[in-house]
Amino acid sequence: MYKGILFFLIACLGFTDAISDPGAGYNLSEEKGLYAKIADVPLNTGSGNIRLPELYQQTPVMLAFIFTRCTGICNPFLLHLKDNLESLGSKEKFKVLVVSFDPADSLSDLNKLAYRFGLQDNDQWIFATTPQISKLVNSAGFYPVWDSSRQQFDHDALLVGIDKEGLITKKLIGLRDVKSLNWMIRSIHDEFMLSYPLPRENMLFSCFSYDPVTGKKSPSFGLLFLVLPAILTIMLLVWFAYQSPKWRLKSAQEIPPAKN
Amino acid sequence: MNEYKFILLVFLDAAILIGLLGYYIYKSSLNPEGDKSIKNPLRKRFFFLIMLSAVLLILLAITIPKSPYFLFADKPPSKLVFVDAKQFNFIMSYQAINPKNPSAGESIELPVDQPVEFRVTSLDVNHGFGIYNSRAELVTQTQAMPGYVNRLRWEFKEPGTYKILCLEYCGLGHPVMSSSFIVK
Amino acid sequence: MASLSLKKVSSAWIITILTLFICAIVFGILMRLNQGNDIKLSPNGFYTLMTTHGLTMIGIWTVAGMVGIQYLLSRYTTVSAKLNVFALVLTIIGVIMLWISTFVGNFHTGWTFLYPFPFYIAWAKWATPLFLWSLAVLGIGWFVWSVGILVEILKKYSLKQAFAWQHLSKKDPEVTTPPFILIATVSLVGIILCLITAVILLILFFAEYYSNGSFKNDPLLMKNLTYFFGHTLANEALYLGVALLYELLPEVSGRPKFKMTWYIALAWNFTMIFVLTAFFHHMYMDFVQPLGFQMVGQLASYFASIPAAAVSALSVIFLVYGNKIKWSLTNILFFIGVIGWMIGGIGAVIDATISNNIVLHNTLWVPAHFHTYNAMGNVLFCLAFFWWVANEFAGSQETTKSHKITIGLMLIGGFGFVLMFYIAGAASVPRRFAFYPNELQIGMTTATWAAFFATLYLIAMLAIIWEIVRKCIRVFYSS
Repeated sequence: MYKGILFFLIACLGFTDAISDPGAGYNLSEEKGLYAKIADVPLNTGSGNIRLPELYQQTPVMLAFIFTRCTGICNPFLLHLKDNLESLGSKEKFKVLVVSFDPADSLSDLNKLAYRFGLQDNDQWIFATTPQISKLVNSAGFYPVWDSSRQQFDHDALLVGIDKEGLITKKLIGLRDVKSLNWMIRSIHDEFMLSYPLPRENMLFSCFSYDPVTGKKSPSFGLLFLVLPAILTIMLLVWFAYQSPKWRLKSAQEIPPAKN
Repeated sequence: MNEYKFILLVFLDAAILIGLLGYYIYKSSLNPEGDKSIKNPLRKRFFFLIMLSAVLLILLAITIPKSPYFLFADKPPSKLVFVDAKQFNFIMSYQAINPKNPSAGESIELPVDQPVEFRVTSLDVNHGFGIYNSRAELVTQTQAMPGYVNRLRWEFKEPGTYKILCLEYCGLGHPVMSSSFIVK
Repeated sequence: MASLSLKKVSSAWIITILTLFICAIVFGILMRLNQGNDIKLSPNGFYTLMTTHGLTMIGIWTVAGMVGIQYLLSRYTTVSAKLNVFALVLTIIGVIMLWISTFVGNFHTGWTFLYPFPFYIAWAKWATPLFLWSLAVLGIGWFVWSVGILVEILKKYSLKQAFAWQHLSKKDPEVTTPPFILIATVSLVGIILCLITAVILLILFFAEYYSNGSFKNDPLLMKNLTYFFGHTLANEALYLGVALLYELLPEVSGRPKFKMTWYIALAWNFTMIFVLTAFFHHMYMDFVQPLGFQMVGQLASYFASIPAAAVSALSVIFLVYGNKIKWSLTNILFFIGVIGWMIGGIGAVIDATISNNIVLHNTLWVPAHFHTYNAMGNVLFCLAFFWWVANEFAGSQETTKSHKITIGLMLIGGFGFVLMFYIAGAASVPRRFAFYPNELQIGMTTATWAAFFATLYLIAMLAIIWEIVRKCIRVFYSS
């Protein structure tokens, strides 16, 4: 019973944590293959060889697929991710695993990449290659296509959220804003969000807006409409309080006799 | 006794009690012998209100943790089902449904005794998503609101065919808006 | 005292309300017969009846309370009969517009007209704007009316006195506020708030409608506004009926008037606040609603019942118990109304519990509880007033007639009718189904029985209404 009351009080305080915003660039295929298990593959990292489960069993993982020869989206993708994570000021609650899906990439290529982004000493970031890349990309639902005329892979910028059980809880495709990233961070920690809004247009007044820094919803313009009736009523009553003395019935004849 | 009968019985007991109390009070006013009226009404009323508040607080503390929002929140689902409601049917698929070209996938089969998740939204007006078991009892539900996805997690304890009915009035076809899935 | 013109316009109001009441009961019985498979209405026919029934009932039993408040207020302050005429005219225009939009235009969104349903047009194109404008006309009429009544109260009492705040600080203040004035004030403030909400809701609807879709609304916000307005209005309507009870019950029972005390003052001031957030319980199954709102919804729904319902019920129990009471139809109706209110309240608390709501939300349990405290609660409070005032018009409260059969029919019919809703609701039968799928056989059986019980209730009502209307009509010929 004490537990119940405590629970209730906490829930009352939790005014804010029901949903977050999908943010700009929401892509339908992000909802494919959710809650599937990520493949168990060996990883070669700068600090030795480990298997993927050893990683996610310690802390949840955000998995990004890139290749170092990429002249397209890979570099902006990583830079954007790095900037966004820095702006969130996120602490060591999860790892960012960057895996090359290009068999031609070696560990030293990846180390160079890490160096270029100034991430070589950042413990949160892990750069790795794997001998079983096709198993890994298939389990993540990531399908790059080799374009021999351009000598490049045709691919999405895919970020895969993996919780401590190795389940894919969320995917993000493309260069995404902080909102979306925060949504992913919460999902890889298995924080259940009861609901999320879909992208829509022309909507001026919605009830809540999402604060990416705290990851909480805050009342927005639309909520004013819920409070407005009370505000207007109170204003009317205040006006009455000032005006009504003038309306008072003065003479005794005007006031009907009270009947008892 | 299942929870449906329990709810009805609690209500009927309370209602009959109130009715009898009313009759008793009415009777007492017909031919009162001597002065039977209640003494110290202020204190008795105060006492009763404190008791009532306490009962309500206890009920609150017991029932709030049982709210559906907290059910299976920490259990990742073994199956994910996307549901788009529209006048007057439910489109269900294991894959995310494209709102511009909504189409259902294969028929839905869910595992028994494992958490599953429904992601429910609407393509037009507000709808309801009520899941009925094979005895036509409402097991769980959520609302389907356009522009938002509601996530309903549940663990089905019994295998069988489950029927879905729309539980928010949505137009002329409302009573025939239904679908079903199998749990095994 | 009530002027002749006030008597006349009150009579006109009572006759209008009771005529609409009978029509709306008949609509309800037709709906139940259709659900029981006893008659065959088209879905269109069913849902236009449903929309008309809901809006008409909630409308007339709100204004019934206002008519009573205006009439009894004439004991304390000067009351404008013109205000009642103005509201009556706008109400009649509004109801005619509403009925045209439903019966001619086939508009059938139910009373909730949840956004964006009115824009998914499955009826005559003009019916959507006509429906929305009919609500605007009703809303404006009632807004002016309730502000006007509040102004009348403030002619006699200061705002603080109207809220009985002087009773909170002093034991025996110089000016005492009758409970009737306090409850009327609190309810009117609530109604003004509801109507402002309705205006905002309608403006948002019109903005989208007349901008041809370049402005879109948020379905979540619109749903909140809809229930804020609809639920709260239904609640406040009941409290208007309770105000009538506080004023008349002791008087017709031959007991001393209810005295204002600090706890009655406190209770009703609290009610004014609690009742504003209880509407969140309509949205428990909208998981998108912030969790905190859901919790506040359950808390407010539980505790809104204490100040208003529990305090009032106890007052009535202490008034009646062990005291020789002069029973007449007036106080019998008030007394049964309190019992109906309590029973409906239990049904409401069960449904307002989130863990129950998951199997009760939008089943017939919902109409079960609100029909209990309307048909067997607020309607009886207002009818008690109508009965009393009709006898005032006739010049005598003394009637030799015993109403045992009428009351018996009303009790069996009324409670039998709502019991069928409760049984079906607990058996998971959804509300607002024009007909039921085969596996919900219990829905059909209970619907047929409900139609039977509702007919008994209707017969009892006709017997009472006939006498009221007969006496009211006479007022038009007096001078």
